[in-house]
Amino acid sequence: MNRGNLKRSNYQKRVADGSMRSNEDMDSTSDLKNSNDNHRNSIRPVSFTTPESEGPVPRCTDWESEVETDEMRSSVRCDMQRYRRRILAAEFGPRERNNSSGSSDSRDSPVPGEVMEEDEEVLMRRQKQITYGKNTLAYDRYIKEVPKHLRQPGVHPKTPNKFKKYSRRSWDQQIKLWKVKIHAWDPPAQEGSELQAIDEVDLDDVMDIELDFPELDPDSSAQTPKVSKASSSQADSYQGTPSKMMKIDTSVDLEMS
Amino acid sequence: MENAKEDYKIQSFDLETQKLLKMALKEPNTVDLEKVSNVIVDQSLKDQVFSKEAGRICYTIVQAEAKHNNGNVFRRNLLNRLQLEFVAREETRLRSLQEWVCFVTFICNVFDYLKVNNMPMVALVHPVFDCLLRLAQPDSLNNEEEVDCLVLQLHRIGDQLEKMNGQKMDELFYLLRDGFLLQEGLSSMARLLLLEILEFRAGGWMLSDTAQKYYYSEVTD
Repeated sequence: MNRGNLKRSNYQKRVADGSMRSNEDMDSTSDLKNSNDNHRNSIRPVSFTTPESEGPVPRCTDWESEVETDEMRSSVRCDMQRYRRRILAAEFGPRERNNSSGSSDSRDSPVPGEVMEEDEEVLMRRQKQITYGKNTLAYDRYIKEVPKHLRQPGVHPKTPNKFKKYSRRSWDQQIKLWKVKIHAWDPPAQEGSELQAIDEVDLDDVMDIELDFPELDPDSSAQTPKVSKASSSQADSYQGTPSKMMKIDTSVDLEMS
Repeated sequence: MENAKEDYKIQSFDLETQKLLKMALKEPNTVDLEKVSNVIVDQSLKDQVFSKEAGRICYTIVQAEAKHNNGNVFRRNLLNRLQLEFVAREETRLRSLQEWVCFVTFICNVFDYLKVNNMPMVALVHPVFDCLLRLAQPDSLNNEEEVDCLVLQLHRIGDQLEKMNGQKMDELFYLLRDGFLLQEGLSSMARLLLLEILEFRAGGWMLSDTAQKYYYSEVTD
């Protein structure tokens, strides 16, 4: 039998049992249509869980967000494996020594047999916070200016270690302090609107931790900070992040020395 | 890059657009990637030849953008467009079978090429299955164009899809068996295509030599 010789026959819209099938029956994703805001020309991008929100957040329904979340999940898992190996190495290898004797450093290296944070949800939330912090012009400028081996503890911001066990409050505080430190590398005022966004973030952070931040542009201090202390866990800090695309860049975190 | 035309099948675009696509491949940060993704999606919905291979150029641009500045503007826009088209697929099918078939071909091709950590994008699995399940409905089986599209996709990505969700694949093949056996008025071409795909899957997503000979060689009477 040769495919090319087969003739196309007439077709009828009849199902095997003789009944007519309607199109509605077959749409297994009609609920997706309904949930997409009756407007067929837009998908309301339901943003994925913000790093700071604690309560239930609507599941993302747009494909890009799902993909990004999956990407983050697998990079977090990859990081976990690497970190576990580091713990084992610390157990069986010579003790890891850091350049400085500062306690802030030793807390970041894996300690032999330490219990690490393994809850994927926690790790992903922390990773998102880290990613937002790194996805800034300030951070870019910082890493260009100060190579890792020249970083001084206390002076130079150091990414919090997401695998260490911390309470939620402690972690969130570390992130805030870290981000505040990074702001020291904000680009100069001439760069316009993006700086405004960063300054808004500054004010939120300042409200929360009561630091004097002398680099604030005098104009921006006239803006009313949107965040009150009560809602610090839902800080709008991340809305102000400049418009670079999200980076999944966890490799930097694990280089401890 | 000299073979971009050939590799990515962009001959069907006008020269201006071909230049734009080549720039997107080489230096993604110099072009409007949202526009590039729209251009690619629009063409994929019209041009059957292009829709069969458009996933490849998409993948290359995604990689290039990620490498240059860790961006994902292109992928984000591509997936958004795909999702919009997916949501509207029933209307598209009613309006133009060709566009519907092009869409299915394109989304399956994207599924094939746009891997994340060497795995297919999980977000696309259900949508792709939904499209194929739609093609396996009786009214679609009556159109050779749609049956042809269905079996083409299963040939190309059936094994990957099954790995991602075996149950859905079983569900699809129940429909295909039913269609083959029970649907009256099915053209002989459609029945041939369905029989072949049933054997193909039964053989672990490949045809035995004898089956290959049966379906694909010319036989002189």
